[in-house]
Amino acid sequence: MSGTRLGPGTLYGAIARLEREKLIEALPAVERRQPYRLTAKGLRVLRAKLATLHGFARAGLRKLEAR
Amino acid sequence: MNARLVSQLVGLYPLEWRTRYGGEFQSFLEDHPSDLGTILNVIGWAMYERVLSLGRFKMDRREHSLALMLYAYLGAIAAGVNFYWTVADTPLAAAMHSRPGLFTSWNLVRGGSLLAAVAAAMVGLPVLVTILRTALSNRRWDVVYRLAVPPCAALVTLAWMAAAASANSSHWVPTPWDVTGDWTAPQNWPPLATRWTLSSVTLVLMMVGTIVSAISVRQAIRRSDLSKHRRLWFTVPSTLLAGSVAVMAFGVLTWGWFVQRYAASDFHLRNGGLFSSTNLFSWGLSSLVFLVATVVAIQGSRTALASEAT
Repeated sequence: MSGTRLGPGTLYGAIARLEREKLIEALPAVERRQPYRLTAKGLRVLRAKLATLHGFARAGLRKLEAR
Repeated sequence: MNARLVSQLVGLYPLEWRTRYGGEFQSFLEDHPSDLGTILNVIGWAMYERVLSLGRFKMDRREHSLALMLYAYLGAIAAGVNFYWTVADTPLAAAMHSRPGLFTSWNLVRGGSLLAAVAAAMVGLPVLVTILRTALSNRRWDVVYRLAVPPCAALVTLAWMAAAASANSSHWVPTPWDVTGDWTAPQNWPPLATRWTLSSVTLVLMMVGTIVSAISVRQAIRRSDLSKHRRLWFTVPSTLLAGSVAVMAFGVLTWGWFVQRYAASDFHLRNGGLFSSTNLFSWGLSSLVFLVATVVAIQGSRTALASEAT
């Protein structure tokens, strides 16, 4: 989504951490692929993070436009 | 990525991690192109997970208390040895004979170290016998190997010190505290740079040996069943250990206060070594480690006392 390709170790490090914090959960495997989905808590946390980022980006853009 | 390399890379992760993610991670890696960056990425994260897993052992309170006692005791030994060599063969030792306050605080540390040794033996020996007996009867060689790590680490360090001592004509022994200075170096000792290099090797061997021993013993405890031990076998020694380490910490702190009052010039003496450290620095280091060991020992005692609820 951001254009950055994560290494396999980094990706599974993130998956393990998110699952430990109960932000994602595993779905039944599809052939060799293991899908995950956001939990209700994960959805709340993601929404809050995105809102913070959105506010941050808007404030930054306002500052830039005022120059 | 080929299956053999993948299974070697997945094998670097801790068992708990492999149990949960091993299968899917293996499939994921097999579909991934094999390049140096990817391999290094996986190795780096495997090491990270190994470090994380050290703090995630599923121990009950008694085992946890035992591990905390081990850390506190090792810390107290390291701090005590450093404190002893801060004073031994220096003008500070002479000052102690004429100042009762200094002598008393020094004896507090000595008394505390004796009590700590008694506490360590009280908890350590029965636990060691139980772990060994269970491991041998169940043919758990992994536990026996882990218990063999501390004596092996000590032997390696001692063998190195003996070899280095026999290699120089004055039979000077490279002790770990020689890295901080050489204020009592006789003429026939090896040059400062040689002494510093050799004693640095001893220090590294000692530190690595201590860390690896602590991890190995902790893993041996974790792989053993200590549920049949009476609670008293944990609560009494852990309380005694916490008290004795606290006494040692108090002794070292008051010793510093007295020495600052009665022998300040010797206390602030720079020893001329490569680190150019002072006795004050060395005392500060001992005090800090003693204080940390006290906190850990108290935590160990609290955990043992809380074990009744489990």
